[in-house]
Amino acid sequence: MSTPDQQRPGAGDEDQGIAVVARTQGQLVRRRFFRHRLAMISLVVFVAILVLSFSSTGIGPIPGWWKHDYTTIGTVVDGGRPTLSVVPGFLGGDGIHLGEHPFGQDNKGIDYFALTMRGTQISLMIAFIVGGLGSFIGVLIGAAAGFFRGWTETILMRFTDVIIIMPLLAIVAVIANQAGNAGPFWLAVVIALFTWTGLARIVRGEFLSLREKEFVEAARAAGTPAWRIIRKHILPNTLGVILVSATLSLAGAVILETALSFLGFGVKPPDTSLGRLVSVYQGAFVTRPWLFIWPGVFIVAIALTVNFIGDGLRDAFDPRQNKVRS
Amino acid sequence: MTKPSSDDPFVDHRSMGAAGSDPLDVGAAEPTEQVKSATQAHVGHLGRSAVGGEELLRVDDLSVEFPTDDGVVHAVRGVSYALHAGEVLGIVGESGSGKSVSSMAVMGLLPRSARISGDVSFRGEDVLSMPPAVQRSLRGRKIAMIFQDPMTAMNPVHTVGDQLAEAVLSHELMPRKKALARAEEALGMVGIPQPKTRLRNYPHEFSGGMRQRAMIAMAIINDPDVIIADEPTTALDVTVQAQILEKLVEVKDAIGAAIVLITHDLGVVAGMTHRVLVMYAGRAVEVGETDDIFYRTRMPYTAGLLGSIPSLDSDDDGRLRPIHGTPPSLIHLPAGCPFSPRCPLATDLCRQTEPELFDTDVTGHVAACHHWRRLAEADDPTTFFRSESEAS
Amino acid sequence: MLAFIVRRVIAAFGILLAGTFIAYVLVALSGDPLAQLRQSNEPGIEDRIANMTERLDLDTPVPLRYLKWLGGAAQCVVPFVGTCDLGQSVRGQDVSALLADAMVATLQLITVATVTAVIIGVLVGIVTALRQYTRLDYSATFASFVFVSLPIFWFAVLLKQYIAIDLNDWLADPTVSLPAAAIVGVISGLIWGSIVGGDRRRVLTSFAVAFVATGGALLLLSASGWFRSPGLGPVVVGVVGVAAAVGLTAVVAGFRYRNVLYAALATAGAGIVANLAFDPLLTDPTWGTLFLLLLLAVAVAVGIGYAIGGLQRRQAISTSVWVAVIMAFTITADRMLTAWDNYYEFVGGRVVATFGARTPNYDGGTWGNLLDTVTHLALPTLALMLVSLATYSRYTRASMLEVMNQDYVRTARSKGLTDRTVIVRHALRNGLIPVTTLVAFDLAGLIGGAVITETVFGWQGMGFMFVEALRNTDPNPAMAFFLVTGIVAVLFNMLADIAYAYLDPRIRLG
Repeated sequence: MSTPDQQRPGAGDEDQGIAVVARTQGQLVRRRFFRHRLAMISLVVFVAILVLSFSSTGIGPIPGWWKHDYTTIGTVVDGGRPTLSVVPGFLGGDGIHLGEHPFGQDNKGIDYFALTMRGTQISLMIAFIVGGLGSFIGVLIGAAAGFFRGWTETILMRFTDVIIIMPLLAIVAVIANQAGNAGPFWLAVVIALFTWTGLARIVRGEFLSLREKEFVEAARAAGTPAWRIIRKHILPNTLGVILVSATLSLAGAVILETALSFLGFGVKPPDTSLGRLVSVYQGAFVTRPWLFIWPGVFIVAIALTVNFIGDGLRDAFDPRQNKVRS
Repeated sequence: MTKPSSDDPFVDHRSMGAAGSDPLDVGAAEPTEQVKSATQAHVGHLGRSAVGGEELLRVDDLSVEFPTDDGVVHAVRGVSYALHAGEVLGIVGESGSGKSVSSMAVMGLLPRSARISGDVSFRGEDVLSMPPAVQRSLRGRKIAMIFQDPMTAMNPVHTVGDQLAEAVLSHELMPRKKALARAEEALGMVGIPQPKTRLRNYPHEFSGGMRQRAMIAMAIINDPDVIIADEPTTALDVTVQAQILEKLVEVKDAIGAAIVLITHDLGVVAGMTHRVLVMYAGRAVEVGETDDIFYRTRMPYTAGLLGSIPSLDSDDDGRLRPIHGTPPSLIHLPAGCPFSPRCPLATDLCRQTEPELFDTDVTGHVAACHHWRRLAEADDPTTFFRSESEAS
Repeated sequence: MLAFIVRRVIAAFGILLAGTFIAYVLVALSGDPLAQLRQSNEPGIEDRIANMTERLDLDTPVPLRYLKWLGGAAQCVVPFVGTCDLGQSVRGQDVSALLADAMVATLQLITVATVTAVIIGVLVGIVTALRQYTRLDYSATFASFVFVSLPIFWFAVLLKQYIAIDLNDWLADPTVSLPAAAIVGVISGLIWGSIVGGDRRRVLTSFAVAFVATGGALLLLSASGWFRSPGLGPVVVGVVGVAAAVGLTAVVAGFRYRNVLYAALATAGAGIVANLAFDPLLTDPTWGTLFLLLLLAVAVAVGIGYAIGGLQRRQAISTSVWVAVIMAFTITADRMLTAWDNYYEFVGGRVVATFGARTPNYDGGTWGNLLDTVTHLALPTLALMLVSLATYSRYTRASMLEVMNQDYVRTARSKGLTDRTVIVRHALRNGLIPVTTLVAFDLAGLIGGAVITETVFGWQGMGFMFVEALRNTDPNPAMAFFLVTGIVAVLFNMLADIAYAYLDPRIRLG
């Protein structure tokens, strides 16, 4: 069905025309996304987790607002039980308060809220680097393969096949076993080196179909250089796919990193991550379950909200279910 | 026009009419030139007097709405028509005018979210209130449909023979072999050579024209009373279009069916149909005999469509006279006549009140225009759409 | 077609070579197997270092070492050629022997997880696609998102701690309380109400029926002490057979023409009779006997379908065969549960196992051992398949919705086909083609998941072997893991391609 304010062809010069279309498209996408209730709730929760984890324990030299440090050993109070209470007094609870150690303490008396926040921070940081760098590599390789075809494509796609047949977790574990010692940043880079394959295939597919489209042929016929065709004509049209895929890869990265750290091949002490916390305290499960529950809850919360955001983006970019035939 | 072989059991010779006078030859009014150039004047069946037979299909005040995220889409708003045995009715309109949706409503093929009101009756029986099983038994057996794009309308993973046989088997239990024999017969009827081997082919092994022939074969295989053809030639090469239309008329006459031909191509309408219903923004805006629609146009939109047909051999002005603007949003319809924003004749009256279908000076010809008289007075109604440069 | 397969095989070989090479280099660089020995200053350490260097061939440069390793590994892949040689572990064990055991264990885990996930996932996907935008659809969608977001390792530990312990505690005194039965009944009612769909009355009716049936069954089973000593018995086997016959007929052929139903019911009857007639044979059979019996059942089913099918012979045969297979599995389950009491005694009531693949020193015959395997497989499989389950159901749903919007489905409906035919013959057939590819892809991911699951549940499979190898800086077992996973990935991708070409005639020519 056509919208009444359709752009007349041939109005303005080429760049302007595309800019106008892109904006209206962008507005549509934004509107659909903001209407996706679950995605919006997820976005709020995700941002809250992000802000909470980074502000509470601080970033680098900047101190956080939380009174405890994630390395300071203290005395264990009340068996390290969490002091967080969310049941209001009039319902027979202890009233809503945080207390001294809302998430409890571990066996050395370290405040578990601080530890969990630090773990969240590291896990999130790794996830962002993996999502960003992995997607960048994926787009680069997929775009090159899809646009230049020929030998470039054969080599790149065969290379992708080679990477894909190795189980992601296992091959990353092999390298991360060493890279983990170099700190979370290098661990993230190593993971990213193996997570780009899916997006590369998708982007290549998109490029293959887009390069046959009339507007690309027109640009090529007009002598537009390759990089400009890619940047101006093809990439904007694959933006949705890339954005959705990058978002979802963020969730995958959180799961992957925590799994690695759980097996002992990821983040190494003295630093910590959510996966390492689960790994370290799974033995304490029976006596002090909160040490095991909290980091897990944060992993699920991050992965779940990011997946919902990705789903919302997908719906926004590809609202197939709203189509009506006429 | 080739006659079907007489040993063909499907051929019903009662409906084979003699070729009559070509309606396009009468009346030398200006639009003729334009219409003629876009039409293959190949049709003999129009001369027959079969029209006026038993009423098969009746649609009364049919409305269809779709609730969507952006609001309710009023796809069809109160459309009525009747189809008689042997008749070809053309439904013409732009995409989004509701012509396909109305016929899908007749077939019961709309998605569950669609809100349908009004009456559809087949041979006097109310189709919409039928139990689903009964409605299903009408589909494909009494009312068959041919779709626009033969490339996607057939299932790629089943053979053509299976898909044809399935249409038979869903209404009648018989050995598969017998159903396949019927399929072979039907393929032969629509002019597919070596139908027996073709049965085992998959749709992708057919060309576009062949597939559309196979679709026609699928539609006629159960000897239906009504065939709804939804833009049957739009997706085909021009050279193939004429063949397909010719074949459609041929098989219709052979099995004695009536056709609802949905199209946006006035050339197709002129060559094939007895009567025409023009749709705009979900409503019928002009209904009448085909000749009257072309030569005694009483609705500016129809005139605009006529003016949009390119002509090769007109003498004084070969200029196209397009309708400017785009069809209105079916969610937020403008007040008054929905065509008024694009209409050169529009007055304040048009912008305030939506016209109903008025009787015009021609009998049996109705038009939804407050100003149909002005069109009746004009020599060539398409000139209302003259471009500014032309006017100066 | 043949050229297509040959091309794919050659490409697969190249990819496998490159993949193993990269893995070999990375594994070789990932750590020094001698590091621990070097720090030691025990007497005779020099000898041990030299010994290990020779055993692991550490003096040879990595690329050359790869070629040597490849030469040995090639003998494993090519049948009937010499002995398989995958090198030795740091402790001097023969890796190919280690791998053989580990592979069987992992294969068991992955096969069960995949089959279960595919069956449940595809069914859920189809139902939610057909009931789009219902509460059931939303719940399933939400659940699948949660499953995808669950870290396996965390969930596995939770399963171990909560489900296993609580379930075992409950099995010590298995009674279902009235509120518990009511709650399960309500859940069952909600699910069935949404699946059946239709107008309010139909939904309420199906809710009520499911509620009463489920809750009542639970209370009845509890009262009769079934949970203490579960079993099916010939009556339940018969009921399942008849239900399968009716249900499958409804899906495959409908009831308009009765011959298919008669054939299916006849097969179910034959199954009931066979269950009783073969009783002595089924008391403690070998697996070979069971397999032969399954073949016999299928053959009988084909015969019945052929004889009674009439005009719908094809449908009758396939329906009968499926009924026979379902009955065979029901009878197996029935017999397996006969070993319950014995097993329960042996493990002291802790029926749901949380560690390893079998109970040490337990031998309960074919059925007892089967039960033992099932109780050990239950939790690892559950942990392993959740992600796949979610993926399959989401993918099937999307694929089905896409297909249901295709023009050819509209054409099929316009021909007057029943909804059943449209869905089964047109939508399902087309919608499930891409799912085959997904299964192949997902298998590689499943092996990654197995690494974690096996570690948590102490399942001595390839994943367990791999993690141990990596922790001990033991290159050869780690490489054996990559070799097997590489072959599996390449093989299944190839199978998926071929299956795709077979299922979609458009690809056959290209």
